[in-house]
Amino acid sequence: MELRGTVKILDQNYKVGDVIKAKIIVIHKMDTGFTKDKESGKTFPRFYMKEITATFNGAVVAHFELDVATSQNPVIQFPFKVTGPGTLVVDFVNSDDDKAQKSVAIAPAG
Amino acid sequence: MQRRSFIKGTFALATIGLLNPILFRHGLSAAEEAVEMPYTELLNEYLSGKKAEDGSSIMTLNIPEAPENGAVVPIEVTINHPMNADNYISNITVLTTKNKANKAISFDLTPASGIAYLYVNVKMGQTQDVVILAKTNKGQIFKASQNVRVALGGCG
Repeated sequence: MELRGTVKILDQNYKVGDVIKAKIIVIHKMDTGFTKDKESGKTFPRFYMKEITATFNGAVVAHFELDVATSQNPVIQFPFKVTGPGTLVVDFVNSDDDKAQKSVAIAPAG
Repeated sequence: MQRRSFIKGTFALATIGLLNPILFRHGLSAAEEAVEMPYTELLNEYLSGKKAEDGSSIMTLNIPEAPENGAVVPIEVTINHPMNADNYISNITVLTTKNKANKAISFDLTPASGIAYLYVNVKMGQTQDVVILAKTNKGQIFKASQNVRVALGGCG
């Protein structure tokens, strides 16, 4: 299954040295493994977003380990310090080891 | 002798028959088994013998007290703690207390994070507490919690 995720920068007009917030949205189920299908009675297997890693210019700035108590279609916001222009790369891994990668350009003003 | 080997044979077959569904499940499905994760177990694992300090004075929690829907409960936490290279918050973990599986998220921070902040959506099956645990790089652990009243559960 294709993994759909995105990453956005919430702040605008930031400078080098500022702490800005990034927002990650993943379109993904978070099946706990306890829920049952009402019609067939089958249990949905545990299937969730497992790991998200954010890397800015080669250095890991945030690492998330998600588990099944996170809501469906997880939304995460996290801060990081802008050390210069570059790219924020976000890697997604789910419990079936499907992978996806998204990136956003960081262009500080001035 | 013949009877004995016959009995052995049947037992062996029966055992294989019993094991087979387990092997089949483990072999084919990459999805993990649905293990319950009780809150106390997760908490003890996180503390690993240490004591948690009261973090309510340094943590600012922004959690709705009575969200409309337990499937999406926004949790926002800001921790007033320095983020220097030698003294910083290295991990923030969000747990629930009464879900079947209580671990929501574990966030590893670095000094490059700048501030200790996290926003995440959590799901809740019933009215319960949200517990925020924060660990510094020196091993100090802070804990803060807030009760959340859920009218409509978000877990099965």
